[in-house]
Amino acid sequence: MNRRVAPLAVKADKLAASAPVARAPKRERGRARAWREHHARSFRASLRRLAARPGATALTLLVMSLALCLPFLLWLLLDNARALGGHLDDARGVGVFLKPEVDAAAAKSFADRVRARADVADVAIRTPEEGLAEFRSQSGFADALKVLQSNPLPTVLIVTPKAIAASARGAPPLVDELAHDKHVDQVQYDALWRQRLDAILAFTARLAGVLAILLGLAALLVVGNAVRSDIVGRAEEISVMQLLGAGRAFVRRPFLYTGLWYGALAGLLALLLIGGVEIALAGPLGQLTSSYGERFAIHGLSIAQALALLGVSIALGWLGAWIATARQLSFGRLR
Amino acid sequence: MGVIRLEQVSKKYPSGQEALTDLSFELAAGEMAFVAGHSGAGKSTLLRLVALMDKPTRGQITVNGHDFGKIKPRHVPRVRRSVGMVFQDHRLLMDRSVFDNVALPLEIAGCSREETGKRVRAALDKVGLLAREASLPATLSAGEQQRVGIARAIVGKPPVLIADEPTGNLDPMLSVEIMKLFAEFGQVGTTVLIASHDLSLIKRMNKRVLVLDHGKLIDDFRPGAPAPQTGAQA
Repeated sequence: MNRRVAPLAVKADKLAASAPVARAPKRERGRARAWREHHARSFRASLRRLAARPGATALTLLVMSLALCLPFLLWLLLDNARALGGHLDDARGVGVFLKPEVDAAAAKSFADRVRARADVADVAIRTPEEGLAEFRSQSGFADALKVLQSNPLPTVLIVTPKAIAASARGAPPLVDELAHDKHVDQVQYDALWRQRLDAILAFTARLAGVLAILLGLAALLVVGNAVRSDIVGRAEEISVMQLLGAGRAFVRRPFLYTGLWYGALAGLLALLLIGGVEIALAGPLGQLTSSYGERFAIHGLSIAQALALLGVSIALGWLGAWIATARQLSFGRLR
Repeated sequence: MGVIRLEQVSKKYPSGQEALTDLSFELAAGEMAFVAGHSGAGKSTLLRLVALMDKPTRGQITVNGHDFGKIKPRHVPRVRRSVGMVFQDHRLLMDRSVFDNVALPLEIAGCSREETGKRVRAALDKVGLLAREASLPATLSAGEQQRVGIARAIVGKPPVLIADEPTGNLDPMLSVEIMKLFAEFGQVGTTVLIASHDLSLIKRMNKRVLVLDHGKLIDDFRPGAPAPQTGAQA
């Protein structure tokens, strides 16, 4: 026993001799470096910890990425719908469907009368024959149309009104008066439809916003819960660190990095999911857009939007971890 | 002025139990003392107060010039670092190597890696475990684990070292060895306060003994003075 202890007595002096004598500036530099080292270590260690529990980590990441990609997909849909709506901006023409008994001469004189109005810029006549030819060439119903014994299409006047204020709500008086004319069967006014579309788009945008907030909260809770269980699992380690004099920031740091990793990885996963959805929808969407004659193209997430998604995801991960640590760690509080 | 000074300190737990009553004593720099008494006498409570893990209900505690009653909560961790602690169950982190365990206080204090390496090896050398720095604590014997705990407590060179039943889980031979290790720190200026219920071991060390009973200081025995009870046997 003494054999083992005796050399220790000599070493005590050696230890005392190496007492801290470092000069102040050097010490400051050392501190800054130690701080950076602890950041780097927390950064790596938190990733290793996530990798050590692949099942739980994957589940958390999947839930978080789903919560992230849903509002972004809705937003993407909305963005595309807006682009489609944009093409309809100039579709302000008024389609006037005349009654079937109105013949070509009557249609012509009616068209002249409408053209003479002060609020009309132009009137074009589309005869039933022209209409049938157009229908045949565009709709692919050529064979079916052969079965028809007579032309069921009415004469249509395409009336282009003079400047209608873009912001005007409801139909202008012209549309109303045309609708009540005795020659007219039905008036189709695209601007009304356009207003309805705008309302739907506005509603969907609000819906996307509300969903984004709700699902963002869900992502926050998912990260918070994952970090919380991590904290509970490391309670002994935390309590030892606090006993050894670890401050709030020191104890918190690895958990904040855990949240950061969750956010970054879930963001990447969400981008993959969105990419997958785009690929899955590419075929049917292509058919849909080609029927619109290349007038608009479906667009995916831009680089900036993808970066924004990543940024939001990382911020949510960090914030979730921050809230969890604030709740779970009673930092060296004295009773 | 003493490095550790308590003036009329009382601690009452929220349950109403009075753990310490009117405790006053002072320990000088480099002094080593034992806190003796039955379990429940208040030994652990006293150590928790000195380690800034608990607040006294009444009285004043000064450790290393810090008046504990005047420390702001955000400064508590920094003051705690000036007190090295050894626990009965050593409380090592089992998933870290011996080196990393001992390095933890330095990491917390913000030492550079270079300096940490030097100081950790000096501390491990001192407790005779330099060869085991890469081992995991679970592969060490109970005595070795406790020595790692001691290395961790002293690596930051705290002016005060506190140990709560550090030999509680060790056989008598190992216990003496550990106690002698503590005594060496007293020789290099560290103030050492050890709680223990092992009276024969305490007597053998021939140091100052504070005897607690039901939260009261009933004896403050110093070496050289006539030993109480059966001290002559030691």
